[in-house]
Amino acid sequence: MPLEIQIQKNVAAGDAGAATVKLTGSLDTATAPELERQLAPVLAGPGKDIVFDLAQLKFISSAGLRVFANTRKALKERGGQASFINMQPQIQEVFEIIKALPGIRVFKDLAELDRYLAARQHSYEENR
Amino acid sequence: MTLELHATPQEVMRAVEALQQLGRESRAPERELFGLALALEECASNVVNHALQHDASRTFRVRLERAADTFLIELRDDGPEFDPTRAAAKPEADADAPGGWGIRLVRRYVDEIRYAREGGENILRLTKRVSAPAQPV
Repeated sequence: MPLEIQIQKNVAAGDAGAATVKLTGSLDTATAPELERQLAPVLAGPGKDIVFDLAQLKFISSAGLRVFANTRKALKERGGQASFINMQPQIQEVFEIIKALPGIRVFKDLAELDRYLAARQHSYEENR
Repeated sequence: MTLELHATPQEVMRAVEALQQLGRESRAPERELFGLALALEECASNVVNHALQHDASRTFRVRLERAADTFLIELRDDGPEFDPTRAAAKPEADADAPGGWGIRLVRRYVDEIRYAREGGENILRLTKRVSAPAQPV
């Protein structure tokens, strides 16, 4: 099963620095290098946050989890974060078995993520 | 069904797709099929990445069998001797080492992992009991 990668920048309302990466299909040993290649320019850019939309991700292996782990590390180093939305139960179970991404933020859907980002922005402005 | 595969990631996924096809034909539950596919992906990737060192001219074999209530996956390669079941005994602190995540997933999703070294080959057998197929409506 192939992997379709759609990267959209600045789509999450209230968070100008975020890119959304929508994955469809299988993130495995054959497709993980392509995701890594497509994420490289995003990670080289000024954005701090990436939201992975996994609604259509049907399969993941440790090769895919390593791409997420490397992305999370790169974003964390610049004060940003990787978030995950619409995770299917079988994908979430793999995350839980590995415990590879401690402290990752998993949101039920985009609305829940938007609420979190709005609250974070509010807190940031109050503390300025 | 036995597949002869070149040591590439694409061939690993060819084996995974064959397993998924076999599972669907025998109406194995999707959740169990997901775990089996993941176990095969991890073990076959290990063969390609470590035993055969990404050398696409080399081949390995995958045998897939569905019995009444079990699935058997057997992988054979002629790489250096390596027993992943012993690697799995590493302490938790080493679990992030290359291969550590993969074997943890395999152990979670199959019921039995057996390793043997025979005739210069690594032989890894994974077995999983599967639920009875859903009755047609």
